[in-house]
Amino acid sequence: MLFNSLGFIVFFVFVLIFYYGPLLNWINKKRMLLFTSYIFYGLWNPPLIIILWISTLVDWIAGNKLAVEEKQSKRNMWLLFSMVINLGFLGFFKYGNFLLENFTLFMNAIGIDYEAMPMNIILPMGISFYTFQTMSYTIDLYNRKIQPARTFLDFALYVTFFPQLVAGPIVRAKDLIEQFYEEKKATADHFIWGLFLLTLGLFEKVVMADSLLSETADTVFDAGKVVNFWDAWSGTLAFSGQIFFDFAGYSSCAIGIAYMLGFTLGDNFLYPYGSIGFSEFWRRWHISLSTWLKDYLYIPLGGNRHGITRMYVALMLTMLIGGLWHGAAWTFVFWGFLHGTYLIVERIIRSRIKMEVGVMGSILLAVFTYTLVNFTWVFFRAKEFGTAKDVISSMLYLNADGAKILGNFDIIKIMVLSATLFSTHYYMRRHTVKMMASKVNPWFLGLIWAIMVFLISIAQGSGEQFIYFQF
Amino acid sequence: MNLKQSLMITTVFAAVFLIGWEMYWRSQGFYPSIDDDNALWGIQRAKVDKAIKEDVVLIGSSRVMFDIQLDEWKKITGRRPIQLAAGGCSPLPVFHDIVHTSDFSGTILVGVTPGLFFSTTNPKAQPWAWPQSKVDYFHKMTYAQVLNHHLSIPLQKTFAFLSQDEGVDGINLGELVKKIKMGGRIYDPMPPFHEFADVTAERNVSMKRQAETDTAYTNSIKAVWKFFSSGEGPPPDKAATLKLFLDDLKVFKARGGNVILVRCPSSDFLREHEKKVTPRSEFWDQLVQQAQVKAYHFEDYPQLQNLSIPEWSHLSADDADIFTRELLQIMIKDNVLPEIKTK
Repeated sequence: MLFNSLGFIVFFVFVLIFYYGPLLNWINKKRMLLFTSYIFYGLWNPPLIIILWISTLVDWIAGNKLAVEEKQSKRNMWLLFSMVINLGFLGFFKYGNFLLENFTLFMNAIGIDYEAMPMNIILPMGISFYTFQTMSYTIDLYNRKIQPARTFLDFALYVTFFPQLVAGPIVRAKDLIEQFYEEKKATADHFIWGLFLLTLGLFEKVVMADSLLSETADTVFDAGKVVNFWDAWSGTLAFSGQIFFDFAGYSSCAIGIAYMLGFTLGDNFLYPYGSIGFSEFWRRWHISLSTWLKDYLYIPLGGNRHGITRMYVALMLTMLIGGLWHGAAWTFVFWGFLHGTYLIVERIIRSRIKMEVGVMGSILLAVFTYTLVNFTWVFFRAKEFGTAKDVISSMLYLNADGAKILGNFDIIKIMVLSATLFSTHYYMRRHTVKMMASKVNPWFLGLIWAIMVFLISIAQGSGEQFIYFQF
Repeated sequence: MNLKQSLMITTVFAAVFLIGWEMYWRSQGFYPSIDDDNALWGIQRAKVDKAIKEDVVLIGSSRVMFDIQLDEWKKITGRRPIQLAAGGCSPLPVFHDIVHTSDFSGTILVGVTPGLFFSTTNPKAQPWAWPQSKVDYFHKMTYAQVLNHHLSIPLQKTFAFLSQDEGVDGINLGELVKKIKMGGRIYDPMPPFHEFADVTAERNVSMKRQAETDTAYTNSIKAVWKFFSSGEGPPPDKAATLKLFLDDLKVFKARGGNVILVRCPSSDFLREHEKKVTPRSEFWDQLVQQAQVKAYHFEDYPQLQNLSIPEWSHLSADDADIFTRELLQIMIKDNVLPEIKTK
């Protein structure tokens, strides 16, 4: 089920009626939330709930064993059990076709004529998100950082909580499970603020991403021909904005919905395009994934504890795997490689050059960071390296005769929206939406909110999927 | 921060904006209509899987949609046919899908617009890709999408501003923005293409009154047909399309299915163009001869001629009723709908 759909509105109204109605006690309210979360997921493809159940059951069992087991070999075994099942599902459903394709290519490359039967595997929605979430629970128990969930209901709800089930934020057990122990009820202000965040998220998705940006990106990246300098930049900037609004919009919706139920989910995006440097970018972009990768991959790989070379290797490996997490294609791996390279180069520069920058210097560095990030999005969006190469070369003005496929207004629209997006992110680096909302007159806030509702209604989308669902 | 006050202001302003927006578009001649989207098609396609021997499925392109009126058909036969035709589409992908993914063994009425029927079997070519995308959508349609569709119908029937129409008549935000043009960086030779169909929730399509009565509006549609007819498009792929159809037909007949071919009316410039590009003797006649099924060409029946075709390609709403009645009478007389008991 999509947040930007009529079905979700009806679904959520029913959830709220039961949640705030007098019929259910807290345990039954949690059961209701769990049941409706399965409906939320199952309305997409009911049989795939079974994978969610298996993942839940495996980590519940492994977690309980890890909580009491003292013998290290057995602790290792239970961790391995969880890893094999979770990563096995992820590997099969998400990377099965990719592995088979590459195996076929490899066999053909070494002269063995091999043709694999296509597997036609359906990718279960949100598998990358809930797999990482359940794994974090088991790993934290293995590392004795958390206590096990008190009841199976609490744990199952942690895995399945519908606001963040299919596209995050990837919430840690200690941040969410404990919220289920005591009855939660949003205050009127919390509820309204949650509704505002839900509106903001839908505005980002339906108006900004789907109505104003996606078509330009699609036109350029699906053109099937080499395009002009302006078209290439417009397409890339459009996608850059689209993916931000799409994913940050989903996160805002998830956080807002949880807020309306009285729960708090952490921020997932903090104005990433205003970042100065790539370390900061990754502290602001998809925060729940980047901290997951840092805690469960980069640090176990050695982090910065074993010298500079080992740190760079760990960093690069983390980014390559982070790239692969986003999609089963080499273009995603290359996207991760570019970010890994940026991070390493930035660390080298920072370790050798100590510089103080003023306001103008900060803005220039932020523009430079934003520009380089945009080059990485080309590989993220292009389905093939050939397309990415063509777009990049056009962006570098190497295809002066490239085709003009966008109208003047399209180009101006994208440039204005991108400049606004960058400026807003840069300004908001030290602010939050709530800070801004608290400063303005309630009438002004109400008017802005009404304009968002109006634009969502007249954009009305056709229920487009969020980009990150495919991950 | 007084959120309660802000929420009240939001509610009032949003209501005022939306009421104003609705009134504006109604003042511009727009009225509530159903979007003929993939979900609407998918809901109808799902009916085929539950259809019985007496049912009739209509496939083809827009002429079958405009010319065969489902309510008129139901008045005579007692059963409403399932409308799966779609504008600009070859019937072959839908026929192939029904033959190979359903057990339906009733009657399929195939609308033959030669330029589309014989166009292509290339999955990337538009006459194939469009209907195939509908077929694919149906097979992947989720319960959530079905729910959204059913919830959206009452809203679509109520508000004029809820529209997924594209192009010159598009009034959702994305389409309104797309209409803004500056300078001439790219050239689009396509004339403005007005929406000229009224669609019901059961995919009954009839011509908009404006397309029948407003000469300028009608001429703008004629200009589009002239535009489509003026290009150096790929030649018809008669061999491949015919073979694919005949292969599927053999499978369908083998399980007791009944197929009827219908060539709906066209006129003036468009008919003359069709005579040049897809002459009857080389296309329609050969199809009928090889398919060995009952076939009806409008030129063979006086009662199917001299009907009103405002923009040369589709019947006016009133004359579509006449066409449906007359065609059905002919078919009933020929006993080609043996399972249907006329009322």
